Amino acid sequence: MMRFQRVASISPLIIVATRVIAVVAALLVGGLGFAIAGFDVPMLAGNVVTSSFGTEFGLEDLGLLVSPLILTGLAAAVTLRIGLWNIGGEGQFYAGAIAATVVGLSIQSNDVVMLPLMLVAGFMGGAVWILIPALARAYLAIDEIITTLLLNFVAILLVNYLCTGPMRDPQQAVQSASDRVPYEMPELSGDLHWGIGVAVGMTLILAIVLAFTGWGYEVRVAGANRHAAHYAGMPVRRRLMQVMLLSGGIAGVAGMLEIVGTVHRLQGGISNNFGYLGVMVAVLAGGLPIGVLPAALLMGIILNGGIVLQAYGVSTYEVLALTGLVLLFIAVGEQLAYYRLVRLRPVAQ
Amino acid sequence: MAVTRGSGAVVELKGITKRFPGLIANDAIDLDLRVGEVHALLGENGAGKSTLMNILTGIYQPDGGEIRLDGTPIRFASPVAAIAAGIGMVHQHFKLIRAFTVAENLHLGWHETPRLVRAATLEKRTHELAARFGLEVRADARVEDLSAGEQQRVEILRVLARGARVLILDEPTAVLTPSEAAALARALRGFVAKGYAIIFISHKLDEVLEIADRVTVLRAGRKIATLPAAECDHAQLATLMVGREIRMPTGRVAGGRRSVGPIVLQLAGVSALNERGLRALSDVDLAVHAGEIVGVAGVAGNGQRELSEVLTGIRPVTEGQVRIGSRIMYDADPAAFLAAGIGHVPEDRLRSGLAPSMAVADNAVLREYRRPPIARGPLFLPGAAAGLAKRIITDASVLVPNMRMPVRNLSGGNQQRLVARREMRIATTALVAAYPTRGLDVGAIEMMLRYLIEMRDQGIGVLLVSEELEELLGIADRVAVLFQGRIMGVFPAEEADAERIGLLMGGRAEPTVKQPA
Repeated sequence: MMRFQRVASISPLIIVATRVIAVVAALLVGGLGFAIAGFDVPMLAGNVVTSSFGTEFGLEDLGLLVSPLILTGLAAAVTLRIGLWNIGGEGQFYAGAIAATVVGLSIQSNDVVMLPLMLVAGFMGGAVWILIPALARAYLAIDEIITTLLLNFVAILLVNYLCTGPMRDPQQAVQSASDRVPYEMPELSGDLHWGIGVAVGMTLILAIVLAFTGWGYEVRVAGANRHAAHYAGMPVRRRLMQVMLLSGGIAGVAGMLEIVGTVHRLQGGISNNFGYLGVMVAVLAGGLPIGVLPAALLMGIILNGGIVLQAYGVSTYEVLALTGLVLLFIAVGEQLAYYRLVRLRPVAQ
Repeated sequence: MAVTRGSGAVVELKGITKRFPGLIANDAIDLDLRVGEVHALLGENGAGKSTLMNILTGIYQPDGGEIRLDGTPIRFASPVAAIAAGIGMVHQHFKLIRAFTVAENLHLGWHETPRLVRAATLEKRTHELAARFGLEVRADARVEDLSAGEQQRVEILRVLARGARVLILDEPTAVLTPSEAAALARALRGFVAKGYAIIFISHKLDEVLEIADRVTVLRAGRKIATLPAAECDHAQLATLMVGREIRMPTGRVAGGRRSVGPIVLQLAGVSALNERGLRALSDVDLAVHAGEIVGVAGVAGNGQRELSEVLTGIRPVTEGQVRIGSRIMYDADPAAFLAAGIGHVPEDRLRSGLAPSMAVADNAVLREYRRPPIARGPLFLPGAAAGLAKRIITDASVLVPNMRMPVRNLSGGNQQRLVARREMRIATTALVAAYPTRGLDVGAIEMMLRYLIEMRDQGIGVLLVSEELEELLGIADRVAVLFQGRIMGVFPAEEADAERIGLLMGGRAEPTVKQPA
């Protein structure tokens, strides 16, 4: 007789292994769904792989998707470190894009001056967008999940207002958008700009800061047990505020990079749900900043694959469902990882 | 009740062996439980008591040996299988749903629960069960509103209602007041008289001698002896349990008073609120001098938590002053109290003293991470943290296979020792220790009390909150009694006697005792 038994703790290796298994299982189940719907799954899968990895263009497109996902994923992951959820990456992304665009359109200078300035503006924009939820969380214990989420809609509407009203470029007939921002992120290869370097750099710095500074230790303790952090004399409230503002700022930088790297104008829809997908990336990463890199890559492959799949008549909803499946399987795998199969010797009757 | 009467063993454990990586938790243990007896299982933390009971109740599978139930070999795949066979366990930490009523908790996950769940039906069934087993419970009360003793009755009733005839109680008196413990003892005697068999896990020698018929002593995973309780005494059991002779320290100098230093920690007219915003401390005056141990006696829940929290800067006061030496602490700021050298062993270590999911090393440095060698400027050096952690756990005599292991995987006693040792290191002025011996066995209690005395002798002020009167009267220089958030009186320990303090703990002020102004 075999049965499952719960174990008290598991090794990091098992955690990584269950994640990989969960992703593979989710893709298999998704593939089964596509097969039932009449698609030639091996052909689709082959096309997804070759289009992402087979050509330089594919890799560049993948990189363009991965950079904002790293940043929005990092934004969500850093709040998870202190035990909070920032679901407002979408709004902070837009707030960062607005701030960067306003600065970019109102100051005349060169790239060397303006790109850092716009980066700071994007960071500040995102941070301002999470300021109220952060204050409400730190001083009034108001649930940050709701407040950060609701502000997303405010940000989206604000962008629509700006692009159809005060910031509208009258020459753009089809789509309402702002004037073109005259500063551009230098390119790394083809379309891929240096934003990915900024994203990876920020991730590495944050991972190091969390592991090797007193500040990072305080954040980790406050995330593991807020009462214990207070007891130990840590400024818990200040750390909550700082981490939330940092999180908003990181998401804001993602928005700024989309402006200077890819879109060059403020317009609706530029976030491509990166804010929400970032929460998934953070969960995939187990809340660890360093885990955000592989998680964002995986999410990028799925999204990039989704673009390819659309060419074959698969709808965006089906691609979204696939990401949902991945998340579901990971959540299930996370629990199952704590069980092991044991063999019971038969009872002598 | 289909219980076979007689002298036969209802449960026999033969040669039970359980290995964990790097450790033999149970080494060929034999134990027989007879119908109609209370069988105490006595041993230090880590002696293997819980592992053995987890095997008997199907939580663990043994690596060797066999379990016989009524003479037939049996193997339990899960706790559900064990309870179906009539073996039920009441855990130390209750497994009740706090937001549910007693009746709902009782019927949760039970095949006899009616399909159509109606509050009135469940409550009626609960009353019937309560009457049948002679355990008084309030069927419609929410569990969160119950005292620990009432919750325990619900747990026991839950197990009995499912047809258990072997009842295992894991340190059942740890959370009870003395009168609740006495009521439990009476209930247990009633059950064995009806033919149930009870295993009673404990490390309190007095209650074992009082309640049990037989005592089995485990030490380091092995069975040392099984003895009739009537033939044992306190000292003999303590020696068997620890493997050496135990003498509880008494720190006071016989006869005259010791000279003490200036006041190091003081409350003047302090009132404070509890978590729910209700007044938990009222007009408390209390001073701890350098080089003395002040004991705080009282039934748990009379303001002890709030007292230790205002003394360590965790909880703000609503009135009055907290002073460290002559300095008035205007803000409740734990960092300032830490800087002033006030250590704190909190009442509930898992809630406020430790970050359970973090590594042992991270927890050991919780108070010193801002000081060299762990801090270098803004940096946190994990290597140095592990080094200090190793020192602390060695001093605390805690065996940890791996410093990266989460602290929640340590036993409760080891967690307590780790916290206590960590706090003693930073307590250069005063130590506030709330129930530092709770959950420890007799050997570790002895060690802990010796530490407190050592600290006192080094000129540190110690405030010791405890429910164990004997412990307080043994080592404290002065004893204060706390009742409903008020100090009922402060006595030099040599003038205090257990009876008088017991009366004050129950709120009965004697006319001769001066109420503090």
